[in-house]
Amino acid sequence: MKLAVISCIHGNYEALNAVLSDIDTHRADQIYCLGDLAGYGPHPNAVVELVRSLDIPTCQGCWDEDIVEGLNACECSYPSQLAEKRGHLAHEWTNRAIHPEVRKYLATLPMTLRQDNLCFVHGSPNSQHEYLLPSMDGFAALERVLSAEADVLFCGHTHVPYLRELDNGTLSVKVQQPGQGETQHQFTAPLKRIVNAGSVGEPRHGRPNATYVLYDTDSAQVTLREVPYDYAKTCAAIIEQGLPPIFAWRLARGMEFAERADDPGHVCER
Amino acid sequence: MPHFIAISGPSGSGKTTWISQFLKDQSTPQFYVCPGLGEISMDLARIGYRFPWVQVVAEAQLRAVLADLPDQATVYFEWGFHLDLGSPFLAGLGCERVAVLPPDLTESDWHTWADRVVAGNAVAAPANGHLPEVWCTPLTGQVFDPPSLEVLLLEVTGGAYGQVCRLKGIFELPNGRAFYVDFVEGLPGMEYTELNLPPWLAGRPSRFSGIEVTGWGLEQQAIAQTLLDSGLSDAALSQYHQHF
Repeated sequence: MKLAVISCIHGNYEALNAVLSDIDTHRADQIYCLGDLAGYGPHPNAVVELVRSLDIPTCQGCWDEDIVEGLNACECSYPSQLAEKRGHLAHEWTNRAIHPEVRKYLATLPMTLRQDNLCFVHGSPNSQHEYLLPSMDGFAALERVLSAEADVLFCGHTHVPYLRELDNGTLSVKVQQPGQGETQHQFTAPLKRIVNAGSVGEPRHGRPNATYVLYDTDSAQVTLREVPYDYAKTCAAIIEQGLPPIFAWRLARGMEFAERADDPGHVCER
Repeated sequence: MPHFIAISGPSGSGKTTWISQFLKDQSTPQFYVCPGLGEISMDLARIGYRFPWVQVVAEAQLRAVLADLPDQATVYFEWGFHLDLGSPFLAGLGCERVAVLPPDLTESDWHTWADRVVAGNAVAAPANGHLPEVWCTPLTGQVFDPPSLEVLLLEVTGGAYGQVCRLKGIFELPNGRAFYVDFVEGLPGMEYTELNLPPWLAGRPSRFSGIEVTGWGLEQQAIAQTLLDSGLSDAALSQYHQHF
């Protein structure tokens, strides 16, 4: 069975359309979406309507949560004061633009989706806001996959796609209880994988192209896809809709930056 | 008799660098003048910070200073690309005229004007009639959030607010240090130089800082807003200062 995993669309309807066309040509049997349908981009309602119309199982992203529950920042939310101010502008705009039924739909999205030995989350199994960076400590990364009780953990949120394989996962645990001697336990975890789907609508890999992932459940093959699209249309819509023009400039250069992704040791406290 | 030297050339060709090699000499009184930008001159401030023994002369004081120069004085006039080479003021001083020019520039008004030509940086000389505009603003008292400043510089020099061929700035950071930042289109990277100044860790700095951007179609208001958005609040600054 061939799966397509998409994430972080951020109101970019043009990019979503291009990715769905690419998925069609690869004849995926099922699409999963890892959230962040809204935020920054000019077409949050249209994106949600399209995802809903195609019955794509979707988990809740951090931006979706913020639109439902309001801003509730942990320090990991923004890499700079400037990014924070711009993020707040985007949040206020989206909050005004979003239709009530779309907000209701975003509130119903689950944190986690599952299919057999696969788990789908936006950030990490702990939180939509936590980053699973490729540079994250191996033990912490393995702990996240084990806590999801999966062999393959699909995530987004960083906007940079990657595949990380966690093999030789041997864990040693020492337990000492009052009045008893110390006991040591060893666990060996089979190969685990983290697959980051990147971002459809707000790439951060230095090019404007959308990214997503194809996964073959029979061969376990992961294919990172990069899809060109007419980003100039989205840029024009950003400006027409009254969003900050700098969003368009950065989108055209694959320079999304509005959330932190440079501290692999940080544990989100939301 | 005082010695007057006027130095001109395109933006980024290396005029200030050429002058700086002589300003290290403290044996005779030296004066530095950089007309055209009033009190908001990055070059004036940078030379003042780097060579405290050099008397930097603001335009408002120029007449008085010139009237009372010691005989051994050397006065360097940095004559920006936007100033008239045929200025009667310069002609009246009897200056030695030096042009700092890109090596591949073989014919220009600077060649006609100069007594001697010095090879400078390989920057593009502006085509006739397409001189860039210069926008500058003081930032004195403003202390920047470092990651925001990094983003701002990347965006401004990358063309987010118009085509930029040159950026010079003096920026204060929350650790009390001040940096000179220099970008020249066509030269690799951006130069960051820490200024040799005492750390400012009590309140907002009252010493000069500012930014000067040269280019075409500059969106001045957007740059100004981004600068404002990148500055630290009093509360954030106080928190930093407690830490340092």
